[in-house]
Amino acid sequence: MRADPARRPRFNLPSPVGAFLILAGAFILLKLIQPVIPGSVILLYMAFVIAGILIHITLDDGRLKRFGDFFIGAEGEGAATRAQRWGLLLVVPLALGWWAYEATRPSYAPPVEIFQRHPTAGEEILGRIKVPEWVATPAKWSPQAIAEGKALYRGNCAVCHGDNLDGEGPAAEGFRYPIRPANFRDSGTIAQLTLPYVYWRLTVGGIQNQFSSAMPAWVAPADAANATTLHTYDLTPDEAWKVIIYLYKTTGFEPRKE
Amino acid sequence: MKRDRALLAQGKKPEWDKRVGDKPREKICLALSLVALFLLLGAGTAGAQGPAPSAEYRVFLGMDSRLAVWIVSQLHLMFAAFVLAVPMFALVIELIGWRSKERRFDLLAHEMARLLPPAYSITAILGATLAFLLFTLYPRFMGYLADIFGPTMVIYPLFFLGETFCLYFYYYSWHRLQGNLKWAHLLLGLALNIFGTAVMFIANTWATFMMTPNGVDAAGNLISLNNAIWNLAWMPLNIHRLIANITLGALLAGAYAAYRFLTVERAEERAFYDWMGYTGNLIALFTMLFLPFAGYYFGFELFSFSATYGVTLMGGVLSWLFIIQAIVVAVLFIGAAYYAWLGLLRIPGSEPQRRWTPAFNTILIVGFMIWATPHTMAASIEESTGGFHPVLGALGVMAPKMIAVTLILVVLYASYLLYRRAGRVITVSWKDVGNAIQWGVLALTALAIIALGVYGYFAPSEVRITTSILQIVVLIAGILFTFILDVFLLRGSQAVGVVRWGTMPRRGQYVLIVLSYVIVWLMGLMGYARSAARLNWHVFGILEDTSPGAGLPSLGEVAVIVTIITLIFFLLLAISFAISAFMGRSLVSEVESQTEEEHQ
Repeated sequence: MRADPARRPRFNLPSPVGAFLILAGAFILLKLIQPVIPGSVILLYMAFVIAGILIHITLDDGRLKRFGDFFIGAEGEGAATRAQRWGLLLVVPLALGWWAYEATRPSYAPPVEIFQRHPTAGEEILGRIKVPEWVATPAKWSPQAIAEGKALYRGNCAVCHGDNLDGEGPAAEGFRYPIRPANFRDSGTIAQLTLPYVYWRLTVGGIQNQFSSAMPAWVAPADAANATTLHTYDLTPDEAWKVIIYLYKTTGFEPRKE
Repeated sequence: MKRDRALLAQGKKPEWDKRVGDKPREKICLALSLVALFLLLGAGTAGAQGPAPSAEYRVFLGMDSRLAVWIVSQLHLMFAAFVLAVPMFALVIELIGWRSKERRFDLLAHEMARLLPPAYSITAILGATLAFLLFTLYPRFMGYLADIFGPTMVIYPLFFLGETFCLYFYYYSWHRLQGNLKWAHLLLGLALNIFGTAVMFIANTWATFMMTPNGVDAAGNLISLNNAIWNLAWMPLNIHRLIANITLGALLAGAYAAYRFLTVERAEERAFYDWMGYTGNLIALFTMLFLPFAGYYFGFELFSFSATYGVTLMGGVLSWLFIIQAIVVAVLFIGAAYYAWLGLLRIPGSEPQRRWTPAFNTILIVGFMIWATPHTMAASIEESTGGFHPVLGALGVMAPKMIAVTLILVVLYASYLLYRRAGRVITVSWKDVGNAIQWGVLALTALAIIALGVYGYFAPSEVRITTSILQIVVLIAGILFTFILDVFLLRGSQAVGVVRWGTMPRRGQYVLIVLSYVIVWLMGLMGYARSAARLNWHVFGILEDTSPGAGLPSLGEVAVIVTIITLIFFLLLAISFAISAFMGRSLVSEVESQTEEEHQ
């Protein structure tokens, strides 16, 4: 036997309280994810959640009216409704105040950095990098060149980029900010790039060029203008190309065509 | 027409006979147009002759040359987009009115065309100013372009002349070419569209040659003009601009309607402008469905021309600009969808359809959260995980974003399907089977899109590009099939009640106004992105920009300048609309006469 819907006790959560709970729930969920999500992304996500709530409330005249009426109050309303109203009127300004305080509190942290994953290199630079014939076509990559590339990688690169090419080398944690050593197995790194670009990145590095990266310039030979600087290491062009084809061969990616 | 006959019987001039040039403002408008035309023709001819450059760069009145050209060219493009787009849908609406014999369509088309003459004059004045600035400030570069594109620069003013004549005849002959002569008016509208599109295509050859030069040797000497015109980016930009122009024009017309809705007092006028705003939003929403793909096609060709474009746009100096773009596009789509859902309120019996909006809203919001997720996150030193996040970073690449945006389009299309059947009762005998097939196919489309996206995520980049194209093919196939089915399903359906035009909540009108602002700002931003992608080149890889302003400004500075351009645009557009509002007979009498006819 079905119960009479009219007699069934109904729990009506006022829409402003529902909206607040959704907001708070989304915020807590985002805060719980590990590793932590940067505040800039949480702000972006919360803006979308607020937009979604506003759309939902204003899509119906009745819903919009009930939302506004909740804050005005009505005769004969229960104590629970009153408590929810005053609770919201207390919690929301306090939360906003805390947010404002956090945003303006003096801090010694460096400013949030907008990092470019792949710094722009002009055509006049990349256009001058000639890819050797034995590198240009993956089918021509010799096992010997790849083996030599592997040895060079292990000796020079793996300390940061890891033996597995996943950016998890022993020294990687030391270079966490603003960017850690690249994970070559991620589809957003070498898989997206052309051979001249990867060669340029390897031989130009990051520190001297203000790319906010700890990547040294693996530039040869000793008579190069910047070969004597702290972060310059010797790697002949052929050696650099061998390291590059080792990266592609091992990860299974192919260089992006020009 | 009856009204006109009655006036003639009384020995008075009919209404249509009083219009052209009777009002001082119209004369001003015509005079402005002629001045602009001569200015532009003069500037165009000067360019075609190819000035002997005495200097690489000049400075005029101490102004920042790049900034001046940036602002004027962007304003010119925005007005040009508007005057190109409005005749397109004005013609289609007029055609619908002619075929269906419903006068309200003719009124709407005329109301849209009414916005054209003053806006066209401003377009031409801005175009002439741009040509003057370019030839004065960048003589070497413009000399080079004139050497390559000389013949097209001679043809350009001729097409422009054709567009000018057609546009003014199209608007001012509206009432004379009615009845048996309507076909002539439609032909005039068609010619206007052909000339307008040709003008844009010609100008696009110059702009795209600067990005993907073709038909020249390594030193930049012309080998084939045909190849220079048919450079890689030309057709993608033509398509992208054509669609985006319609979106822009429709949203601006919608904003005009919203403003009139909010300010008119008569219920008949409010109903009319409500309908005009709805039509504008519908056209914008429909064309927006294709814009992301047109954008991908354009980007695809740029990448294939030079990988430097790929890095600059997606990973390098302009990568954060595209995060802003993603957010602004989200505002645009969400706003347009919101207006469409709000429109259900004016349809009696639309309650079953309105029940879907919370689910659609959720998909839209979650979809855009994914779409706007950056791959490399802006983080403080405490939050930093080293550039990308192991969980959210996976959402920041192409495959999940393609799933998100394509599913959003499925939801928007489903909203349209629901809108079509709101307040109607389907009467065909096979309605249950039809409905099941229709929504089943739509669900399968969504599933296929997700499956292709997940496969593409783990595949190499070349395969991923193929799967993303397949996603679009699946979407289009799903839309085509279900829409054809829908036409048959709704055949003979009965309306529960009449749509209550004019009862749209006022907040819906404000959304239309905000949307027009958003699209103009977005257009400004993307205009900058297209131009900035060349970095320090006038013509990519061939003619380097060695002027003091060759570097790129910071993103913050770009946002400020784009905002200033947007504000100037709206100021000029407001003046243009104000002149439009004074032109011709008040719409009240048009609507009244229509109502009289309907009652009789």
